[in-house]
Amino acid sequence: MLRYILKRFAMMVITIWIIVTLTFILMVSIPGSPFNEERGTNETVQANLEAHYNLDEPYYIQYLLYLKSIVTFDFGPSIKQPTETVNDLLGRGFPVSFELGIVTIIVAVISGIILGIMAALRHNKLIDYAAMSFAVLGISIPNFVLATLLIQQLAVNLQLFPPATWSSPAHMVLPVIALATGPMAIIARLTRSTMLEVLTQDYIKMARAKGLTPWKIVVKHALKNALMPVVTILGTLLASILTGTFVIEKIFAIPGMGKYFVESINQRDYPVIMGTTVFYSAFLIFMLFLVDIAYGFLDPRIKLHKKGGE
Amino acid sequence: MKKWLLLFLAALTFTVLAACTANKDAGKKQDDDSGTKGEAASEEKVLLMNNGEEPSSLNPPEGFDSVSWNVLNNLMEGMTRLGKDDKPEAATAESWDVSEDGKTYTFHIREDANWSNGDPVSAGDFEFAWKQLLDPETGSPAAFLGYFIEGGEAFNNGEGSADDVMVTAKDDKTLEVTLKAPTGFFLHVISNPAFFPVNEKVAKENPEWYADADSFVANGPFKMETWEHDSKIVMVKNDQYWDKDTVKLDKVDWAMVPQTNTEYQMFQSNELDMTEIPSDMADQLIDGDDVVIEDQAGLYFYRFNVEKEPFQNVKIRKAFAMAVDQNKIVDFVTKNKEEAAHGFVSPGFTDPSGTDFREANGDLVTFDPEKAKQLLKEGMEEEGYDKLPPVTLTYSTDEAHKAIAETLQNMFSENLGVDVTLENTEWNVFSEDQKALKLQLSRSTFLFDYGDPVNFLESFITGSTMNRTGWSNEEYDKLIEKAKTETDQQKRWDYMYEAEKLLAEEMPIFPIHYYNQVYIYKDNISGVVRHPVGYLELKWADKE
Repeated sequence: MLRYILKRFAMMVITIWIIVTLTFILMVSIPGSPFNEERGTNETVQANLEAHYNLDEPYYIQYLLYLKSIVTFDFGPSIKQPTETVNDLLGRGFPVSFELGIVTIIVAVISGIILGIMAALRHNKLIDYAAMSFAVLGISIPNFVLATLLIQQLAVNLQLFPPATWSSPAHMVLPVIALATGPMAIIARLTRSTMLEVLTQDYIKMARAKGLTPWKIVVKHALKNALMPVVTILGTLLASILTGTFVIEKIFAIPGMGKYFVESINQRDYPVIMGTTVFYSAFLIFMLFLVDIAYGFLDPRIKLHKKGGE
Repeated sequence: MKKWLLLFLAALTFTVLAACTANKDAGKKQDDDSGTKGEAASEEKVLLMNNGEEPSSLNPPEGFDSVSWNVLNNLMEGMTRLGKDDKPEAATAESWDVSEDGKTYTFHIREDANWSNGDPVSAGDFEFAWKQLLDPETGSPAAFLGYFIEGGEAFNNGEGSADDVMVTAKDDKTLEVTLKAPTGFFLHVISNPAFFPVNEKVAKENPEWYADADSFVANGPFKMETWEHDSKIVMVKNDQYWDKDTVKLDKVDWAMVPQTNTEYQMFQSNELDMTEIPSDMADQLIDGDDVVIEDQAGLYFYRFNVEKEPFQNVKIRKAFAMAVDQNKIVDFVTKNKEEAAHGFVSPGFTDPSGTDFREANGDLVTFDPEKAKQLLKEGMEEEGYDKLPPVTLTYSTDEAHKAIAETLQNMFSENLGVDVTLENTEWNVFSEDQKALKLQLSRSTFLFDYGDPVNFLESFITGSTMNRTGWSNEEYDKLIEKAKTETDQQKRWDYMYEAEKLLAEEMPIFPIHYYNQVYIYKDNISGVVRHPVGYLELKWADKE
């Protein structure tokens, strides 16, 4: 196990290095600069700004500076918000995005699995159709449309929840629903189809024949096998939702880190671009690693490491 | 294996619990907040506003954008402050003397001007702040505003030193400034937040004093109470402010909601006292009684590139300009009640005799399809064109710009019989291409930094970074130079009138519309002043 983890870790470092290098190349090759204001600052001011952020150095020096900042995990100050370091921005935004994300994932996974199981158990009955129509709707309505709709109906018209901002559990309800509906629908459909497959397996028939209650059959024998595909998508889903979502955070004015992914690129805020890229890729790789480990627990047939001699 | 699973589950539960606890705390705080809000609502006047996003910097020499200004202009105060009529009035400076050559200003700071921590505001605080603005180390985007001061430009571009900048604290309460040339609008320029003072004592102890509420020292109508980065800023009345009796609000609560749609929905559920109008609802809302439309000094316009065919020819440039019906664009395309622009300097600047710049110079660019066709024909003959070289109109990617660009395409086709190609690029790419004179015909915006027409007009002198047309005219350069140095105010304005007329004669750019600021206010809000130069003023604001 340890050897496997070390190997994965080495791979992770190499992957991140490749990502960083590619990002750097892309970053310097897109036209524009962080100081490209409509107002047009004069050349002196522009030169001062560039010198201030080491942008007047040759590219290889800038690249080395970036590598250094990654190794020390200190990305320096943001160019657009000079009083803040990139670490400040991520350190402040990530907990918020994480909080929203983890609740969303829990809601999506639990409700998705329940919907999926219900649909599978009542295959081709009313519940199945209802659950699957709901899932199709969930997948096809973009979350920003749903978000606006939820605010208008539940916050403005019915005044049940606050429309936006982030300070209490009540503020969480609408963004969680908006964000969880899509993943929930995907999970429900996945669970349903694998459940249907699993339920026709011999060992389920065997369990039935033994006279186990349907509840026990589902939980003990069917569900564990039906969860494999759900776990597979969970890795990427976790990484993307936990690190914040641009649109939902913007609509609900949630101070998460989602906006930095998009805005840093629009504004050519180089340190923030690098910071978010490294953070996201490290996080994603780590999540995929967790998923691989989780496979091992769910399905004993999958071995992560070769046993001695083999 | 089972153990690992247990461990993993335990870790997950822990994280979730941690997340939930953080929640509960946050919730409690909110309840407390709303509790006090509810109880004290009858006495406390709390204005609920939205500022869109986190300010880029609240260090006066650094924060050079409207989001930072909205907050800064109410937390701090310079030597002068714009009054309700948008003219500079005595503020931290009680009075000032101007030398006969118009170059030296001596400001006398009020005895009762204090910082929120009780320190008196001293002339040294201004000297410190203005030199910081010009210091190349600061890298301030607003530094160019300080070039009016003798030695300012040299210090900023590394040729001079801080000691050569002619800003001197003569004593604690007297500041002497010598300008490069008599600058008739200097009192306007220094009302800009870039010229606010910085408490030198505090800044030397803590160079990051402006980054948090606890360390922030203010000298304006309000002071900072809390600043939750990326979420909200709360400012309260500053009891150390010299004119505190004028300030009616007890508190201003700034949310940071980036989306206008959300902002409007929060306004509807009474979480905000004012809102902008979401663009897709302009039709329904703009005529409401609660809508307040104020001027914003600025121009939406298009730049010709006079170095690219066919726009080297002035008649062809004029033909394109006259083929545009600005009134139709504001009535049917933007639909935000902007004023159609038939000149370049936006309305709202009055000359010494009290006449508005716009009224004095009248309409210089008018829609006239017949004349446009005529001019195009003449221009083509002059250049020997049988067929007009292809024209590409470029704008930065944005729905609003696109709508106007498509309308222009239509108007050129209808009124001139010319088919232009539309092209859009991402903002940064667009901006670089425009500066490098790679575009033929491109969209532009100018928003004023201070309240004098020369701010805009000087954009088009030879070699200005704001020129971006390739156009160069000696006579124009001279007029602007005179407008910047003339001591006789009426003459100064006459030069500017002449300069604008020349711009219309040569037409390196053509106007579309002036800017405005449109807000919906709750009925009980009054006294909010939005200056045309873009600073917001809450000193006189009230909530019934």
